[in-house]
Amino acid sequence: MFKKILFATTASPSCDHAARVAFDVAKRYDSELIVFHVLGIPSRGFSRFVTDVRTGETVTFDDDYLGWVKEEMKNTYARQLEMHQNCTIEALPGVPHTEILRAARKKDVDLIIMGSTTREEDEGTYTYRSATGSTLQAVTKSARCPVLIIGRPVASAWGGFSNIVFGTDFSRAADSAFLFAYKVAKTFGCTLHLFHAYDISSVHSGKIMEQDEIEDNMMEAREKIRKMYVPRLKGFDDYEIEIWEGIPYVEIVKFARENYADLIVMAHHTRKPSSEKELLGSTVEQVVLRATCPVASVNRPDKIKDM
Amino acid sequence: MTKKILIIDDDPNIVSYLEDFFGDNGYETCSAMDGSEAMPIVKKEKPDLITLDLEMPEEWGPRFYRKLMKEEEFRKIPVIVITGLTGGKYAIQKAVAHITKPFDRDKLLKTVKDTIG
Repeated sequence: MFKKILFATTASPSCDHAARVAFDVAKRYDSELIVFHVLGIPSRGFSRFVTDVRTGETVTFDDDYLGWVKEEMKNTYARQLEMHQNCTIEALPGVPHTEILRAARKKDVDLIIMGSTTREEDEGTYTYRSATGSTLQAVTKSARCPVLIIGRPVASAWGGFSNIVFGTDFSRAADSAFLFAYKVAKTFGCTLHLFHAYDISSVHSGKIMEQDEIEDNMMEAREKIRKMYVPRLKGFDDYEIEIWEGIPYVEIVKFARENYADLIVMAHHTRKPSSEKELLGSTVEQVVLRATCPVASVNRPDKIKDM
Repeated sequence: MTKKILIIDDDPNIVSYLEDFFGDNGYETCSAMDGSEAMPIVKKEKPDLITLDLEMPEEWGPRFYRKLMKEEEFRKIPVIVITGLTGGKYAIQKAVAHITKPFDRDKLLKTVKDTIG
């Protein structure tokens, strides 16, 4: 299913957790893995200068420097490369998200794996970040294949996929995410949780709903899942339907944690399917940052149809 | 009656060290090298406590733990996570303790004694 995976990395410690997942998934599912690094950002299109990821210094880009960077990548991932031979190391200069998307398109990859941000974190504090990195934002927006995001270190502690949560708000955009979740579940023999969080926060601001009304809506959502998704499972029976009420991102994170999910699948955003202008949806962004497992953001049906 | 501890870890050095350490302190032990081979051992040996590594070759610790929680007979067995993974403790939040490698053996023994006597 994942014949070719592109792991976009800075080859710095901030990508260690994503690397653990990338190499494990590639080995486990017998995929070709491309470890891909984009060197800094040239100041001009014709610039010969790049920013060194480790030192932050501006350095002259030439073949020697490129060779050195590739060698450093090999050293960084030496242990993993020993365990998974079907792997290539690639590095080139440019704007990171442009080059990642270009490489994914040219190499026709089935999955992109990356961390949520490379910003240094102040570990130990709880509210240390609330936004994903700009490269991730740009890649998830335009990628034709699903993007697997490792937001927290704990998201790399699972070892493959066996228990998937598909979070839906019933939008058209969620259809591609559903298809991906279903295909992964079917291919790898996973349990699939079809999950909807009934939003009792913003949409009803100013109004306190009675519990009967909330539960009526939850039952309606359950019926909707039965009608929208279950017939498309085509006999796949290892699924469960769950509806929880609350703030959607909180409920999805809680549900995944309580059920020991090892993958959450969601649409990139839900308002305008396949729009180039939409940013990563606010719910999926918060899920990425807070989930205890990897999150797959799906924006386009292109690659999923062929999987 | 002697209490029994199941050690689940893919590193034979850690397994052998823990077997000796728990044995010296009056516990019986049994072991598994991977989550996938641990469940039959749980069923056969019925351990009083499990020490669990997270990253293993086939079935990782959290997936084994999820299976364990589904077994009515075994879901109350206390689990101590012993791992080298940063942030790995959040994967099994209901474990009685999370111990990071390299670990303090006195702290481990105290946790075991506090948990199963």
